Amino acid sequence: MKKNLKKETQILNVLYETAHAEFGSALEMLAACKKCDSPSTAFGYFHHAKDEYNHANTFFSILKPKAKNVVVSKARELRFQPYSVITKGYVSPKGFLIEFMHLKDFIAFVYTNELLANSSFQKMLTLLGKKTEDGEKISKIMEDELTHHGMAKKHFLKYYPALQPWQLRLYKTREHIKNNGRKFYDKNLKLLEIIFKPIYLSFSYFIGKIISFLNLNEFNREGKNLMDISQKSIL
Amino acid sequence: MYIGISAYNHESAAALIDDKCELIDFCKEESISRIKGDKSFPARSIQKILDDNNLDIKNIEKFIFYERPLSAFLYPLKIASMNLPKSIPLMTHQFRNFKKSSLTCFLDLSKIYSGSEKKLYYLDHHLSHTLTALLYSEVHENLCSIVVDGFGDRSTASIHNVTDPYNIKELWNLKYPFSIGLFYSAITDYLGFSINEGEYKVMGLAAFGNPKSKYNQVINKLIYWDKKNKSIKIDLKYFNYHTSITDSYSEELIPLLGSPRNPFNQLLPEDSDFQRYADIARATQDVTEKLLIEIFKYGHELTGLTSFLFSGGVALNSVSLKRLANLPFVDQIIVPPSPGDAGAAIGAAYYGFLKGKFGSDIIKKPSLFPSLSKFDKQFNQASKIISEDFHVLTQEKEEALIVCSKLIKKGEIIGTIVGNAETGPRALGNRSLICDGKNHDAVKFLNTVIKNRSPFRPTAPVMKMETARKFYKINDALIKAYYSMSATCECLEDSDALNFPVTHVDGTARLQIAEEGSFIFSLLSKLSSYDVDILANSSLNISGDPTCLDFFDGLLVGVNSKLNYLLTDYGLLEKKS
Repeated sequence: MKKNLKKETQILNVLYETAHAEFGSALEMLAACKKCDSPSTAFGYFHHAKDEYNHANTFFSILKPKAKNVVVSKARELRFQPYSVITKGYVSPKGFLIEFMHLKDFIAFVYTNELLANSSFQKMLTLLGKKTEDGEKISKIMEDELTHHGMAKKHFLKYYPALQPWQLRLYKTREHIKNNGRKFYDKNLKLLEIIFKPIYLSFSYFIGKIISFLNLNEFNREGKNLMDISQKSIL
Repeated sequence: MYIGISAYNHESAAALIDDKCELIDFCKEESISRIKGDKSFPARSIQKILDDNNLDIKNIEKFIFYERPLSAFLYPLKIASMNLPKSIPLMTHQFRNFKKSSLTCFLDLSKIYSGSEKKLYYLDHHLSHTLTALLYSEVHENLCSIVVDGFGDRSTASIHNVTDPYNIKELWNLKYPFSIGLFYSAITDYLGFSINEGEYKVMGLAAFGNPKSKYNQVINKLIYWDKKNKSIKIDLKYFNYHTSITDSYSEELIPLLGSPRNPFNQLLPEDSDFQRYADIARATQDVTEKLLIEIFKYGHELTGLTSFLFSGGVALNSVSLKRLANLPFVDQIIVPPSPGDAGAAIGAAYYGFLKGKFGSDIIKKPSLFPSLSKFDKQFNQASKIISEDFHVLTQEKEEALIVCSKLIKKGEIIGTIVGNAETGPRALGNRSLICDGKNHDAVKFLNTVIKNRSPFRPTAPVMKMETARKFYKINDALIKAYYSMSATCECLEDSDALNFPVTHVDGTARLQIAEEGSFIFSLLSKLSSYDVDILANSSLNISGDPTCLDFFDGLLVGVNSKLNYLLTDYGLLEKKS
């Protein structure tokens, strides 16, 4: 029973994260589409964005019936929050990849990440069951990811013919290492969080006590002409 | 040139006002990033404004930030510090996310436009709202400004006496954590909708509620007007928004109202719990209106004035405006098209102008469509998408209007991406999904299939003034608000409008009166030959996304939904089957 509950929660969390990740990819592709001068490339990114939006919706459609059965406090956490794509790191706070990456690197990034996504969906397929209705939806998404991977490869070799397939493999390995590094970092961050949490909390308590002595009433505006207050003041 | 900036709290935005006090451009960050509720520093919006207006950063005299960052940071901490140790997680979150707070505006600006941080100025948050509303008013003297929101940089509601644009005195304020906006959001959360997104849904749901249900009394005890102290009080035992980062309401609320709604259970009128949730929404809406009436009354008592400006996020509550305008002392209420935080960037830019060397007598009322849209380049970029996914029915403007009219008459739905974009959250025709407002099937299809909205949510109508007067009780005190779809009104008694699909279950509609010269006005003129005088009008997006801004966004809605027709500046497109 407990094991089942744990598995259900794990599935919900994976679906939630993946939906946000796919949504983040859709935004990246749309941004890339808008930056392209070539109508053919724009067409490719446009349809890639369309697919990623649909994938995000599919993951939410799988999550939705499952989330109906969980406690409300957990269900509230599973609501789609568009801005979370930034806080969760699926879109960089610096901007979209195409805004700060060289086009060649961007295409290589798409090429490798579509493949990596495909392999992580494989794991999800095992969790949900291959022959279930949800499993079929995920298999369809995996086909799309492979198509995107193939398109990126074709595009890459067409525009950068001097580069060889082995160099793409190098990109893939690099991205693979980066991904594992991120996972390692995340795991350790969680550990550090456990270690440092008491320090954070004590710090907050201590600062909170100091703040409680602050008298902000002096900055009350009642009776004042708001246009006369200094435009350089941040308080 | 002055750039107003709003960021870090809700939707961020930038606005540009020139030396002649004209709003030249306005852009919300979410429109470009496509992330609904994007609150990041609006770097893309500022850059777009500079590019589209051929400006260099040197042309900008002042950047004005819409709040005082240290106040916005300290006030919630001060309240949280009085609730230790319960509020430790909130305080920890605030400290750890210091880099995402408005205190970093200075650094964010200097990172992108080095040296510009020296030109950065600040004003009170509620003053930004008042100035935004003032800009949309025909008169600029002797006005009573009411600002009500969740939280600004020190208070959550205020009354200002606007003697003239240089003399704006604060007469009353409501101190955090007592807040109508945060109370409404907490109930929104309890009802299973997302905060800062689902408040419209609560407003729509309220129409199904019984005004005399037992929840009316319960909610009235949670938040009330304290007659003696002329203030609003909230029983904070039932709320956690001031002590927690994740929970807006406390466990204590559940025995009072029953179990909260699981957000994943669709809310359908035939469901057993629907009436309870609708009654709670109704009680929340009613108490909000009651409190707003008290604030307006007090504003009138303090100033003796009869012309009001109303802004802040709570001014988006279009239902309450109907009751406020009926107060005997109210001559007019001006609500800006974007009364929330995004629109406050306009007020901030206006402040920059006022603090410059110019007089206030040259104020120009901003257009309802101020967001410049220079997307001609995209027509070429999108040429393959157009040829592969769409048929171009016509590229001739007049013909496009005629074909659109015929399609609408036939019951089709049209998406529009024409001209400049709207300022506010309501699409006014240029970024809309429109269909015949009297055609039940078409409106239902638009609402539930294309937009994927809950069936209890109404769709707004747009019409010309003469049609509006024929069917609806138009209140002259709100006449300006109707142009930006900011207020609801009731149908005339025994009017046919009671059966229109754009009329809500309580016999009201949030109507838009088409502004002469606008695209939607031209379309309505054309449609009169086809016996269509009312259009249903909803924003062009798919549920959860921001309203479309550019050509690509529109095309994406086209291919990703069941929408078949798109009217664009490029031409009228039909999706290939």
